[in-house]
Amino acid sequence: MVAIVLNEEYYKLLHELQAVDFVLVELNLYLDTHPMDANAIQQYNQYAQLRQQIAHRYESQYGPLKNFGQSYSTTPWSWNDAPWPWQV
Amino acid sequence: MNDQVRYYKTFVSPLDPCPPIRVKSYSTPPQLFIPFQPPNLPQFTPFEALKYGTLWPMLYSPYNSKNVRQEEGD
Repeated sequence: MVAIVLNEEYYKLLHELQAVDFVLVELNLYLDTHPMDANAIQQYNQYAQLRQQIAHRYESQYGPLKNFGQSYSTTPWSWNDAPWPWQV
Repeated sequence: MNDQVRYYKTFVSPLDPCPPIRVKSYSTPPQLFIPFQPPNLPQFTPFEALKYGTLWPMLYSPYNSKNVRQEEGD
């Protein structure tokens, strides 16, 4: 197992992911009450795509974000590698 | 944007056993005055949104600590 270095880039990437995730939460809640707003739907899809890209970049460098088959793992199994979320 | 905190003066009994709080405050966040959110509102950037806790500046409600004692009266 290669220890993950929590450098500036790590936090930058995680911050980006967090910000994009938050935009998606906001748009999701907004669209629940505004289902016909095409602009917002387009923005939602655009951010969903952006999220996928960021998550992919994160996972290829720092290991899986999710478990139970929602992320790929390296060999050896990397889900239970440090750092855990509360150690970041 | 106008201040989102409003104040009222309390009734103080002359027999109040405790030091009275003469002015109390309450928060009136913007969503109280927007019955249905209009589409295409201006937005924060993603990082700003994360910081402010909302994607739309119009719905931003700041939280100021109450430990800093407000000026009484007025």
